[in-house]
Amino acid sequence: MQFGIFTVTDITQDPTTGRTPSEHERIKGTVAIAKHAEEVGLDVFALGEHHNPPFWSSSPTTTLANIAGQTSTLQLSTATTLITTNDPVKLAEDYAMLQHVSDGRVDLMLGRGNTGPVYPWFGQDIRQGLPLALENYELLHRLWREDVVDWSGKFRTPLQGFTATPRPLDDVPPFVWHGSIRTPEVADQAAFYGDGFFANHIFWPASHTQRMIALYRQRFEHHGHGTAAQAIVGLGGQVFMRKNSQDAVNEFRPYFDNAPVYGHGPSLEDFTQQTPLTVGSPQEVVDKTLGFRDYVGDYQRQLWLIDHAGLPLKTVLEQLDLLGEEVVPVLRKEFAKNRPAEVPDAPTHASLVQAKYGDQAPRQATPNANRGDNLTLGSPYQDTAVVDSSKPGSAFGAAATRKEFVR
Amino acid sequence: MTTKRIVIISAGLSTPSSTRQLADRMTADAVSIMRERGVEVEAQVFELRDLAHDITNHLLLGFAPPKLQEALDAVATADGLIAVTPIFSTSYAGLFKSFIDVIDPQALTDLPVLIGATGGTSRHSLAIDYAIRPLFTYLHAIPVTTGVFAATSDWGNGGDGVRSLPDRIFRGAKEFAELVERTDRSDLVSDPFALDRPVGHLVGGFTGE
Repeated sequence: MQFGIFTVTDITQDPTTGRTPSEHERIKGTVAIAKHAEEVGLDVFALGEHHNPPFWSSSPTTTLANIAGQTSTLQLSTATTLITTNDPVKLAEDYAMLQHVSDGRVDLMLGRGNTGPVYPWFGQDIRQGLPLALENYELLHRLWREDVVDWSGKFRTPLQGFTATPRPLDDVPPFVWHGSIRTPEVADQAAFYGDGFFANHIFWPASHTQRMIALYRQRFEHHGHGTAAQAIVGLGGQVFMRKNSQDAVNEFRPYFDNAPVYGHGPSLEDFTQQTPLTVGSPQEVVDKTLGFRDYVGDYQRQLWLIDHAGLPLKTVLEQLDLLGEEVVPVLRKEFAKNRPAEVPDAPTHASLVQAKYGDQAPRQATPNANRGDNLTLGSPYQDTAVVDSSKPGSAFGAAATRKEFVR
Repeated sequence: MTTKRIVIISAGLSTPSSTRQLADRMTADAVSIMRERGVEVEAQVFELRDLAHDITNHLLLGFAPPKLQEALDAVATADGLIAVTPIFSTSYAGLFKSFIDVIDPQALTDLPVLIGATGGTSRHSLAIDYAIRPLFTYLHAIPVTTGVFAATSDWGNGGDGVRSLPDRIFRGAKEFAELVERTDRSDLVSDPFALDRPVGHLVGGFTGE
C-alpha cells in the first residue's frame, strides 16, 4: 500500500498571523514539502492544477520535474490533472517527458476541475465537462499506446499521422487514476479502462464514498479487468496532528474556521464527525484511517491533505514528521494484516514493465530519420513492426499485443 | 391498496407558525381525499427551520449533513410535494429558496406539487403565481393550478367572503390528490449509484451497449 500527500496549492493567509506567503515562497515551500515527504518515508506526492489565483500550480510537470531531480524514490502524481480543458496531445507529451526525466516515477490523477471560468478561458464549455473528459482521455490513452495516431473527435482539431513524442518510458504509459467526487460515469470510465479510481473523500460523507467505490469495483469486474477486490482504489484524507489531541484541535481550529471551502460553515466537531478529517493525536489518525478499509475494502493508495488553509511551512513539515514516525509505519503493518493475497499493490512503472515484458527487455523507441513517410511506411520508429491501429481504445492498445520486435 | 408518499416542506420561521398551520390543513385535506378513494398515504413533514444550518452548510460545502440528506432523499423519491412558504419582500422566504437550491435539478421532475403561501395581506397573493410557480416549472415539477394563499385575515372572518380559506385549501388538495393518485413516480426514481443499474448508459457509451 502507498501512503503520501496531496496539495491543492492554495496560497492562503495564515489566520493566526495575518501573513500571506508570496507565490515564490509557497512554490519553494511546496518543493521542500515534497522532498521531506520522501525523507520521512512516504511514497507519493501529488500536485493539483489550477489556472487562477490564489492557486499557483498552473504547470504541474514543471514542478514535478524539479521535485524529481531532488528525490529518488518518491512517486510523483497529480491531484488532479484537468482532462477537460487541457489538450490531450500536450498531456501525452508532458507526462511522457516527466516519465523519462523521473525514470518512471510518475502517474496521473485525472479530474474535471471545479472552477467554472477555466472552461471558457481554455475555449471549452462547462456543460460539456463529462463528454470532454471521456473523449479527451480516449485520445490520451491512444497517444500513449500507438506510435502513429489518426483521430477525429468532437472537441479537438483532428490528427492525421501524429506521433506523440517522446514515446512513454519503456513504451509503458503512466498509470492513470480517475478522480471524482460525485459522478458515477467517472467511476465507470476508470473501470472501463482498468485504471485506478481515487475518491477525494475529504469534503464528503463516508457513505457517499462507499457507494462510489462499490460502483467502481463492480464495473471493474464487469469490464473484465479482474475481481472487484482487485480494482485499484485510492482515497483522500485530511489530518492535523499534535502529540496531544486537544493541542491539535486548539491549534487547527482557526485554520479550519477560516479555510477556503469549509470555513465559516460547519463546526470543526461536526465536520470531523461527518467527513474523514481527523484533528487529534497520531493514534487517532491511525484509527480513523484504518476505518476507511471497513467501507471501501482493501485499497492501494492513501493520500492526505496537510498543507492548505494557510498553515505555515514549519507546521506542515512537522505534520510530515508525525506521519513518517508515528502514523505510516503503524498503518503499513495494520493494513497488511488480513489483506487477501489477490489484492494487488498500486501499479508502479516497475510493475507495469514486468507485466508487459516479463523477462524481456523493454522496448526503447528509436526514431528513423523523418522523411515525411510516417504514414506510408507505417512507423517513425526503427524498432517497430507496422502498428496495428485497428483496435483503438483496447485496454492496453496495440503495443500490448505485439509479440516480437523488429530490430 | 397502493401507498403514496407525500412530503410536506414548511418554511415558516416562527414557532408556532401560520405557515405550518396552513401546510397541515392542506395535508389533512389531501390525505383524507385520497383515503376516501382507497389510496393509502404516508405523509412526512420537514420544517426547514430545523434544517436551516444544514442548508447553509450544504450551500457552502456541497454536501448535505445527514438530517438534510434525509429530507432531500424524501423529496426526490416522493409521489407528491406540498410546499408552503411565507412571502417576504414580494417573494418566497430566502430559506425556502435556499432549500430548493440544494435539491438536485433533476430530482423534482414530474413531481406533483401543491403550493401554499402565507402573508400579511391578500395583496401578496399573486406571489404564488409570479414567483413560486415558475420555480417549480423550471424544475419540471407539476404544480397544480390552484395555489393556496393565506393572509392573516383569512384565519378570522376578514378573508375572502365568497370563497373561504377552507374552500381554497380543499380545491387545491383535490387537484393535488388526483395527480398524486395517478403518478407512479416513487417507483421510477433511479439511483445513479445503484449496483444493479444496466451498464452502457454513459455519454457515447464505453461499450456500445
